[in-house]
Amino acid sequence: MSVGVLDSRNLNGGQKLAVKYFIVAMVLFVAQILFGLLAAVQFLAPGFLFETLDFSVNRMLHINAMIVWMLYGFIGAVYWFLEEESGVEIVGLKLGEIAFWVLTAAVGVVVLVYLFLQIGAGDDTTRWLINEGREYIEAPRWADIGIVAVMLVFFYNVAGTFSKGRWSGVSGVLTLDLVALVGLYLAGMFYTTNVTVDHYWWWWVVHLWVEATWEVLVGCIMAWSLMKLLGARRKIVQTWLYIEVALMFGSGILGLGHHYFWIGTPEYWFPIGGFFSALEPIPLVAMVVHSIYDAGVHKFKSTNHPALGWVIAHTFGNFFGAGVWGFMHTLPQINLYTHGTQWTASHGHLSFFGAYATINIAFFYLAVQQWRGNVWMGANLADNGWKWKWSMVLLNLGVVGMTVALLIAGYEQSFIERAIEGSTWSGYFAAQTHPWFTQAMFWRLIFGIVTAVGLVLLIWDLATIGARETRPALVIERPEEPGIKAAVVETA
Amino acid sequence: MIEPVALDDFFVNVFSAATIILAGASYAALLAWGKLTRRPGFLILAYVSYGVLAVSVWLLAETSHFEGFWRIIAGLMLIGYFAAPQAIWRLCTVTHAGEHSEHDRPIINQQQEGEQS
Repeated sequence: MSVGVLDSRNLNGGQKLAVKYFIVAMVLFVAQILFGLLAAVQFLAPGFLFETLDFSVNRMLHINAMIVWMLYGFIGAVYWFLEEESGVEIVGLKLGEIAFWVLTAAVGVVVLVYLFLQIGAGDDTTRWLINEGREYIEAPRWADIGIVAVMLVFFYNVAGTFSKGRWSGVSGVLTLDLVALVGLYLAGMFYTTNVTVDHYWWWWVVHLWVEATWEVLVGCIMAWSLMKLLGARRKIVQTWLYIEVALMFGSGILGLGHHYFWIGTPEYWFPIGGFFSALEPIPLVAMVVHSIYDAGVHKFKSTNHPALGWVIAHTFGNFFGAGVWGFMHTLPQINLYTHGTQWTASHGHLSFFGAYATINIAFFYLAVQQWRGNVWMGANLADNGWKWKWSMVLLNLGVVGMTVALLIAGYEQSFIERAIEGSTWSGYFAAQTHPWFTQAMFWRLIFGIVTAVGLVLLIWDLATIGARETRPALVIERPEEPGIKAAVVETA
Repeated sequence: MIEPVALDDFFVNVFSAATIILAGASYAALLAWGKLTRRPGFLILAYVSYGVLAVSVWLLAETSHFEGFWRIIAGLMLIGYFAAPQAIWRLCTVTHAGEHSEHDRPIINQQQEGEQS
């Protein structure tokens, strides 16, 4: 094993495949930020790229790129630990390779169609070949079918590999979650002419994917990462994974109700959505107790400082983005005004970044460490680790800045457009041209640029960290699992 | 049926909702730290945080015009945010008991002294 050199001989089959997923994830992360910046400029200068690359196209690409890069990151992370966790080689690695190239080609074609064809006649041909027209899941039907097929291959590889090797609590939860991940996507693949019925099922994909299956998937990735990163014991990690799944499902599934307030569904969704939305932050608050317990009781040792830094950013981002920003406007009495304003965008920016982007970035650092021959990534890095530290500061500062700016814009919209003007057309324009809105959008653009600079630094760091390092990470064996090793370096 | 928040109560409503979560987290954090270090001062601060949470729940309930079923939600929030950190603390000590039996009732200062010596 050559320390400090990017060498694929340092990786097992699943990890080699995972690296491909991570690279495409980073490309799509760049696309997300790029199209987000263009959309941010168009808020300030609506004529910018008008009829060439309209706001609707930029926004669609911004959000779709985000969803897809996060999925690429999650799939890559699972492939990364699959062989180590199961103790055997992946059963359908070649099939997995084919699925990766099919998915990547499909994503490329869809993006090109979005960019150059953009819209169609609003008939079945458009729905099948150009754009399905439903927010966040605009992919045309052929791509939908492809996504499900690729996810089924992924499921086969995960379930088949664990069945051939060894099962564990992490693998059991992960496999069951993948059933839900594939199954729920199907809910967004049929079309009804009744917009209420259509939205009813659409939210199954949008909410239940994100607030149930993705959360559990991240829980599994976190569980494995904590064993790797801190040498945490499997028994404890798995127990807490079960508790987390119970809390998340207990509150998150019917928390779906807060999306059913204004789409024409029956009124009983008000109390159901209100009740479960009030419960949803409790797992996040409870998490605080466990973090403090662990921080106080255990002497922290970390294999990888940047990864641990991003895991910590994950806990804060998830708590504030999903918990505080979510609950602020979730009850129907206030959501009547805030629904669909920039307030929602504010919540979306912080919670997606906090809950999902951070954990993917943490995993990228774990992957690079192994790819470079399990190189030292503790204290006293060659350049004092300034790149990872500054990229983390800039990315977090940028996203928090955008969140606050969008909150101000959303508050103004809710107040003027909705509460005062009663959601009229004139109220919409009054809110859009108000100085609070335009100034907030200006600052959103500034912090978007800060985020972009942070991303450039992140890519630079991922490409170079550990390159001149000759120290290998110290390897210890966890006594209860001699087969699985955790590389541990002492914190400074 | 619901009655939306009045225009004058707009800020108080969203601020109190945010404060519920922040005070809930402060209560959870201070409670855990107080139990960990066995310092009653932190436990007192934890219950002060819970008091802030309770006032925030009351403000949210008033400005959101909670009646009937919605008052039950407010009550359940008060119980849930009080009980969840206590229950999670209990789960922490139980799940970690076999790992570090000497840390069943850990004291941070003593640990640090031990490490330094």
